[in-house]
Amino acid sequence: MVQAQRWVGKPIPRRDALEKAIGQAKYASDLFPEGLLWGKVLRSKYPHARIKRIDVSKARSHPGVVAIFTHEDIPNNRYGPFNKDRPVLCDDKTRYIGDPIAVVAAETPEAAEEALGMIEVEYEPLPAVLDPLEAMKPESPKVHERGNIARQTHISFGNVEQAFREADIIVENTYTVGTQIHAYLETEAGISYFDENGRLTIVAGGQSPYRDRHEICSTLNIPEDSVRVVIPHVGGAFGGKDDISVQIHLALITLKTRRPARLVWTREESTIAGTKRHAGIIRMKTAARRDGVLLANKTEIIYDTGAYEGLGPAVLDVAIENCNGPYKIPNIDISATLVYTNNYVASAFRGFGAPQVLFAIESQLDAIAEQLNMDPIELRLRNALRRGDVGVFNNKLIGSVGIAKALEIAANHELWRERERYKSETARPWIRRGIGVASAVKGYTLGALPDKGQVGVELTREGKFRVRVSSTEIGQGVLTALAQVAADMLKCGVDDIQLVFADTLETPDTSVTSASRQLFLAGNALADAARKMLDKMRHVAAGLSGEPPEVFDFLDGYAISRDGKTRISYAGIARYMENNNIPLNVVGEYEVPRVEPIPGTLEIPHLFYMFAAALALVEVNTLTGFVQVRKLVVIPDAGKVINPQTFQGQIEGAAVQGIGYALMEEAKIENGILKTQNFSTYLIPSIKDAPEIEVIPVEDGEETGPFGAKGIGEIGIIPIAPAIANAIKDAVGVRPLSIPITPEKLYWLIRSKRSENGSQ
Amino acid sequence: MRRGSAVVKRFSFVLNGKPVEVEVPPAYTLLETLRNVLHLTGTKDGCGDGDCGACTVLLDGRAVHSCLTLMAQVEGRSVTTVEGLLRDSSPDEVQSAYAESGAVQCGYCTPGLIMATKALLMSNPNPSVEEVKEALRGNLCRCTGYAKILEAVLRVRR
Repeated sequence: MVQAQRWVGKPIPRRDALEKAIGQAKYASDLFPEGLLWGKVLRSKYPHARIKRIDVSKARSHPGVVAIFTHEDIPNNRYGPFNKDRPVLCDDKTRYIGDPIAVVAAETPEAAEEALGMIEVEYEPLPAVLDPLEAMKPESPKVHERGNIARQTHISFGNVEQAFREADIIVENTYTVGTQIHAYLETEAGISYFDENGRLTIVAGGQSPYRDRHEICSTLNIPEDSVRVVIPHVGGAFGGKDDISVQIHLALITLKTRRPARLVWTREESTIAGTKRHAGIIRMKTAARRDGVLLANKTEIIYDTGAYEGLGPAVLDVAIENCNGPYKIPNIDISATLVYTNNYVASAFRGFGAPQVLFAIESQLDAIAEQLNMDPIELRLRNALRRGDVGVFNNKLIGSVGIAKALEIAANHELWRERERYKSETARPWIRRGIGVASAVKGYTLGALPDKGQVGVELTREGKFRVRVSSTEIGQGVLTALAQVAADMLKCGVDDIQLVFADTLETPDTSVTSASRQLFLAGNALADAARKMLDKMRHVAAGLSGEPPEVFDFLDGYAISRDGKTRISYAGIARYMENNNIPLNVVGEYEVPRVEPIPGTLEIPHLFYMFAAALALVEVNTLTGFVQVRKLVVIPDAGKVINPQTFQGQIEGAAVQGIGYALMEEAKIENGILKTQNFSTYLIPSIKDAPEIEVIPVEDGEETGPFGAKGIGEIGIIPIAPAIANAIKDAVGVRPLSIPITPEKLYWLIRSKRSENGSQ
Repeated sequence: MRRGSAVVKRFSFVLNGKPVEVEVPPAYTLLETLRNVLHLTGTKDGCGDGDCGACTVLLDGRAVHSCLTLMAQVEGRSVTTVEGLLRDSSPDEVQSAYAESGAVQCGYCTPGLIMATKALLMSNPNPSVEEVKEALRGNLCRCTGYAKILEAVLRVRR
């Protein structure tokens, strides 16, 4: 059915933008309930230690202190999305610096801070294991009883060894990727209180009110219907608020003291105790024929998940799924290991395991193109997946596949066509310019895991609609996009759509806000709800007019008969329904189609993939190793752009995070101690680091998505690091194998190449 | 004076055009006073170290990090926060430009950026692109990639 689109595709400003710009929007950190207690968390001083004794008696005697909690107060002291390996408060051991040991609740922030220093913890320091390769050795100290291999799997299709024997060229490299910190501007924060009905209420930054509620209730052993979780506007998340942070500690304080509480992490606490992107080692051996056809790819992936798994097992799956890039490769072999260490906890971060492996495979492709003396885009196009193809896991690609089109746009872009001219335009002899390309791929939806969401739609007395979703507004603009989709589905103005979001009491479970799929999932559930609602309204219009229901269609807030003679307003329909006790609300549901996971994996393959191509123009200072990105062209396969303004914003923002990942953001961890705990040491891009960014969407339409839309939230970051690395190779002739490509690393790479040349 | 275990001191200053008096520990920053005591939360706390700019306010018309400004420095002076830019509950043109340009995503950096923009435009109504970047370099944003922030500021220059 062709659906008329009045709001979909329009660049309307986000509905929360002005409220945020005038300082009125309330975030979890902005809330100060009457009579609140200030919460503070005592954290481990050692990366690995046995806890021999915790004495809170002195701290408890502080006049401002109301309560102090330890592991003894937690009925079920382990949680986690896959493996329940993480304590709410440490009992037997601490496993990283920052592991929580006690929670203080005090009348003032000063008293809470003072009390932290009065808690006595007797530690027995244990040998810490900080290198994932060391951790994999059987004789290494064990982070957990089960050993340090959190997950290990091997997947093979075809015969790589035979392909390597038959190949014309083979490229083999070892890549290392660093830890990236989310660095959202609002740290982890929340409040808690008992509402007027005696319901324990937690208002905290997060990405899934229902899953947060589940973790609170399962650890504190309280019934789920006694707890309400609300997630207001969140000051950035990027996957970093997918895991529990303040929620259980807050619930504990209010449950035990019966008083409201507030717990907001400091910036240092956020960088230490918040989750991070997995650091890793990727060994890759890739074979091709002389004509550029890829024959085989053998990959070994080792990801450091730190002290606890978090979403690490699924992150590893996404790495496995995407390490061959968006290419047809008949022989693949993947060994993947998720390793526990006494480092900081790694979990979800935009891209979810894909940026690391795409850096590797896209560097490999460039090295192959160079050896074959072939245009790098031509090489990629020769191997690019197309719709209907069978992927590397023998999986048929039934969704839209826009990578070839994106690469063609890149090939025809002025920056690529005239790259020699761009490269010659440098002002100083020690500045070298280079242009690089990279592709990206990642599944959206939860792949082979069950993935289902509900959306409520209610017709108000005024003839407007209230849409209820548990989707969280983490900055991405999903609420505005959903309002546009709803307005076109329900045939009304976008301002006639009111959205109620992320509240376990007020909204049905629309599942977690992750995997770039809230617009897809909620949009499809909304389509189901809209169908049900309009069907109801059609019957009411029939009853009111005496005409058969099938003659009615809907436009601009009216039910209109086919001959145009009968027009009934939505408000009229609503009044009739209310007077006749016809329920004014419906619930729509969508379950994401999925296939069985391939043996050895949890959740892959996906049926739906995002793609992108990117071009980068860089300037390398050969005297200092400093890289300035001058221009990025990002070409995402968007299906259909629902709101061009928020779409561009997502891609531009992801691109600049990608610049940080590629060049700047180096979480320095020495002996288990994070040395970069704030923004003066952990440098994220400022406006001075942000280049001109051109965003060109491919809009081929994804039939299963709302109005043809597919996911776009994560794809923008994935091609950036490899495009920049390839541009650096183009500029100065050295291939960076380790990100971030800091000036220091690149300086020495350039130096070592010079000394090689110099000795000739 | 004591509040709980802490000694408190009285400070008087002008906040968004109105005189206020507060009693807070003398080591309090302006940011702690605004958020934790007055619950005026438009001014955001991003790092507490002067690194991110989210807490930027105007002190006698100049942009300062309120997290690095002690209450003793505020005594007798005039503070403008993002809430103080509203005129008869209408947004300032800088606020509207940010909202309409798509310069706001999660929005946590937005009030600080708006105050830094305001300070820039008060001293230089027609800044160049480079001058805008220089003026806003201390205000970190993790969501937008800055393209639409730049667009918003250029929209309101004279």
